[in-house]
Amino acid sequence: MRIIKLNNQIKKRFIFLLIIFACFSASIFLISYSLKDQIAYFVEPTDLKSMDGIENKYLRVGGLVKTNSLKFLDGNWIFEVVDQNQNSVNVVFSKTLPNLVEENKGIIVEGKFIDNIFVAEIVLAKHDENYMPQSAIDKLKEEGKWRGN
Amino acid sequence: MLAITPNTLSNFMNSLSRYVILLSLAFISLSIFLIIFLENDYYQGISFKIMFIHVPTAWLSLAIFLVMGISSIIGLIFKSPTAFTVARSLSPIGLIMSIIVLVTGSIWGNLTWGAYWVWDARLTSMLILAFIYLGHILLLHSFEHFQKADFAASILAIIGLVNLPIVKFSVDWWTTLHQESSVLRMGGPSMTNDYLITLLVSFLGIFMLTIFWFSNIFYIIVEKRKIERSILLND
Repeated sequence: MRIIKLNNQIKKRFIFLLIIFACFSASIFLISYSLKDQIAYFVEPTDLKSMDGIENKYLRVGGLVKTNSLKFLDGNWIFEVVDQNQNSVNVVFSKTLPNLVEENKGIIVEGKFIDNIFVAEIVLAKHDENYMPQSAIDKLKEEGKWRGN
Repeated sequence: MLAITPNTLSNFMNSLSRYVILLSLAFISLSIFLIIFLENDYYQGISFKIMFIHVPTAWLSLAIFLVMGISSIIGLIFKSPTAFTVARSLSPIGLIMSIIVLVTGSIWGNLTWGAYWVWDARLTSMLILAFIYLGHILLLHSFEHFQKADFAASILAIIGLVNLPIVKFSVDWWTTLHQESSVLRMGGPSMTNDYLITLLVSFLGIFMLTIFWFSNIFYIIVEKRKIERSILLND
């Protein structure tokens, strides 16, 4: 086996690269840390409580569609977006919903608050990272382990 | 890697490449068979089957960049031509992989989310990865001497390594429309075993194809340099 001698030049190049890499990653970290509110794609209904001046501000709110809240009234979809802390937002949407919007499933609404009601202009369905066939769910339901709807 | 010349690595990979391509074709045909007969997802229906192309190519586009970055570090520190040539032959494959990820992802996104493209952290950082691959290729072709091109491109590859954890963990660090990781995550895979096995088979097929493709590009670069050197010597 050849023994690698760590001579001075190799050491110098290594330190040079280390400095480049450290400076660059530190700057990326600082940029993304200070812009973390802008990088985040949506806020949850709980976050809205601590935000001021949300009226008439263009926002994205994400969460689950509350069970038994999805209705179609006078040409508008009306539903509630709820998060884990049970805080919810009332949403009105006048266009066609994406196929995968269902109760108790993820959703992101984009629009403005007008008189405490969120008037959505864009609605996106957000599916989670769990994939399973219907047969596996039936089996889980038989065993009483299924926690979905 | 230090004692290995580009020529020996090229010969070694060439001797294996016929087995690699046979394995790849076997795995890919097996995965197509499995994908066709797999039961649909309870929620997304048939559209989730795009995952079996999307996820393996996404893993590979990250893994290829990692290998590129590490071999660029080795190349720069130890002045190893083999390491530089490895990085040079990997970037076109990585670019194609990341384009496949973006295209299949946006088809899947349109079917499930209801939008082809959104500017969330995962999608944007993946687009940046594709642009870094493109920049790497452009840098390699914008110098007269390949040693200078290798130096410049490897600096870009090392800086681009910073983007890898951002792509991987963007879904955990920020809120995104993209779902979180299903397989490489804490607490084990969040899919049933039949899906997981299909995913691994299709990953192996695309991985073997990548190895085959890589050995071909590597061989072409090495042979082209031999010809150029012999022309120089004859002049």
